[in-house]
Order: sequence, then C-alpha cells, then structure tokens
Amino acid sequence: MTEELMEKLGVKKVFTIPLFGGIPVTESIVVTWIIMAVFIILAIVMTRGLRTRNISKRQAFIEWVVTKLDGIVGGMVHGRATVFKEYLITVLLYIGLANIVGIFGLKSPTKDMNITIALALMSIVLVEAAGIIFLGIKRRLHKFIEPTPVILPINLMEIVTKPLSLCMRLFGNVIGAFVIMALVEIVVPIGIPMVLSVYFDFFDGFLQAYVFVFLTGLYLSEAVE
Amino acid sequence: MQGIIVLDVDMIDINIWSILFTVINLAILFVALRFFLFKPVRNIIAKRQEEADAAAKEAEERAAEADRRKAEYDKAVAKTEAEREQILAEARKQADDEYRKMLAEARSEAEIIKKDASTEGEKRKQRIISEAGKEIGDMIASATTKILGNVDESKLYDAFLNTMEDEK
Repeated sequence: MTEELMEKLGVKKVFTIPLFGGIPVTESIVVTWIIMAVFIILAIVMTRGLRTRNISKRQAFIEWVVTKLDGIVGGMVHGRATVFKEYLITVLLYIGLANIVGIFGLKSPTKDMNITIALALMSIVLVEAAGIIFLGIKRRLHKFIEPTPVILPINLMEIVTKPLSLCMRLFGNVIGAFVIMALVEIVVPIGIPMVLSVYFDFFDGFLQAYVFVFLTGLYLSEAVE
Repeated sequence: MQGIIVLDVDMIDINIWSILFTVINLAILFVALRFFLFKPVRNIIAKRQEEADAAAKEAEERAAEADRRKAEYDKAVAKTEAEREQILAEARKQADDEYRKMLAEARSEAEIIKKDASTEGEKRKQRIISEAGKEIGDMIASATTKILGNVDESKLYDAFLNTMEDEK
C-alpha cells in the first residue's frame, strides 16, 4: 500500500531524448504537453470564424471566457503591470488544469516539484526583469533600501523567499491534497471521497492556481511602481 | 526505512531538464494562447466595439439630420400657412370687392329696368287707352247699327250720304 502510494507520488521517467548525454522526459512533462495541446486545440477551435454580428454560441462562450479571465487577472495587476496580464492568464489556465488533471487519470504536473520550481523561477525572473526594465537598474537597486536601509537584508532575502514560497505553497498544497485523498480512499472507498474530492481536487486546485497568479501579479505590480 | 528510500529517490528529485522543459513549455503555451486565443478574441471584440461606435455615431448624425429636416419642414409649413392666409385674405377681399361691384351693377341695372318698365307701362297705358277709344267707337257704331235695326251697312252709308247731301 505504501509502495503503491509512493509510486503514485513519484515522478517516473517516460523516455529519454538521446541528446547531451540523454535528456530525461518525465510524466509531468508529458502531461504538460497534453495540457498545452488541449489548450491550443481548444483555442484554435473556439476562435474559428469569429464574427462581429450574429455570433455563434461557441464564439459567445469564448468571448465570455476571455473577458472573464481578463477581469479576474485584471484585478490582480495594477498600473504598468497590466502588460503581464496575458502571461498571468496563461499560468492560471495551466496551473488550474494541471491541478485537476488527476480526475482524468493523469498525474498532476504540479505534484512534481520541478514544475513548481520552474513556475516560481519564471515568476521571480519576470518580477525582477520587470522592475529593472520599468524602473531602471538604479531605481530598482534603490528599492532595496526603501523605506529605510535597515530593511535591506529582508529585501534581499525576499528575492529568494518569494519564489520559494510560491513554489512550495503550490507543490505542498497539491501533494497534500493528493495524499489526503489517497488516504481517505483507502479508509472509505465509497461516498466520502467524492465529496472531499470536490474540495481537494477542484476547489483547492483552482484556489492554488489563483493564489499563485495573484501573488505573482502582486509582486509584478509592486516591482514596476 | 523502505519508505524513506522511495521518498528520497522520487518525490524531491530536482531535475534541471524538467525545469527547463517547463519554462519552454510555458513560453510556448503563452505565445500560442496569445496568438490563437487572446489576439483573435480581443480583435473581434474591439472590431465589434468599433462597429457599434460607428453605428451609434451614424445614428446620432441621422437624428441630427432628421431634426434639421424637421425644422426645415416646420419652417416651410409655417411659411405655406402664412402664404395661404395671405392668399385667402386677398381672395376674400377680392371676392368682397367683386361682390360689391356686382351688387352695385345689379342695383343700377335694376334701376334701369325699373325705369324702362315704367315708360313701357305708360306707353302701354296710352296704347290701351287709344285702343279702348277705338274699340268704344266701334262698339258705339255697332250698337248704333243694332239699334237702328238691320240696316245694310252700305245702305246706311248711302243713307248717310244722302242725308248729308240733303242737308246741304
């Protein structure tokens, strides 16, 4: 039983690309590709034959989705940071689907810490790059001693703690929810897991995607001001 | 012990390739969604907004045009009304004048007729009187004849002549 659970928690190597001494391709990467394919195919299918009048239900739906996503993410970024809206929507969609993909029998990529590390790294690189590009290097460096130089060590630490917390929060929540669900399923196989699954798989999955994007948006908004 | 070993091997296994793959995957997904989802949808929404704005502007222009035309029309109607009023007044005046003229003419004509009628009457009276005289003469003659008996007129005449001659 423990081994079975550990097997589910682990990330298996699916195949190896024979380049640079062998590039391992893990399950989470393959699932990410599937998620990407789903989104890209959906996007292409849903945006076919867009019109300004007499729109189809399909078009009405996709317009509603995009407007809604714009609204959700638009509330997280302020001022000049709004240029990152589309990136944040992409991350929201990816993490959102990655968190609930377990329902379809696939392994959540966000259960693999390498994925959350990559997401957190991208976030912090984007935040720091945005700060430097929008404010200039001098102004950015000066921000480390704002409002008082005493705060400098904390500000320096934040460069590490911000992505670390982003990465660990997402990974921890997803793996925690998964472990709890697996344990509940062992104890009570019927009924209760379904109810809990609504919370742990759906609600927590979307919530963590939202939190990740919300914090990234917050950091971005802070960085460019 | 066994569990810890499995955990050590699989769960927290930092794999630089996976991180690299994810960064590339995210970048590709971002570009793809931007190109296939956000751009077309935003474009079509913007285009529709543009069309709606244009339609609203056109409607406004048309309303303004309609207002302008209505004002023009009202002005024309008012002008026509005034003209009609003027023409009517003129016509009324003219008709009144005509009426008066005709009335005067009729009056004078009636006067003439009356006058003519009175002279004619006089003439007729005279004629009747003269005719009556003549008729009375004839009546007297015939009455005389009747009184005198059935005398031949010619004889009477002769007798008259004779008498006249005798008297001579």
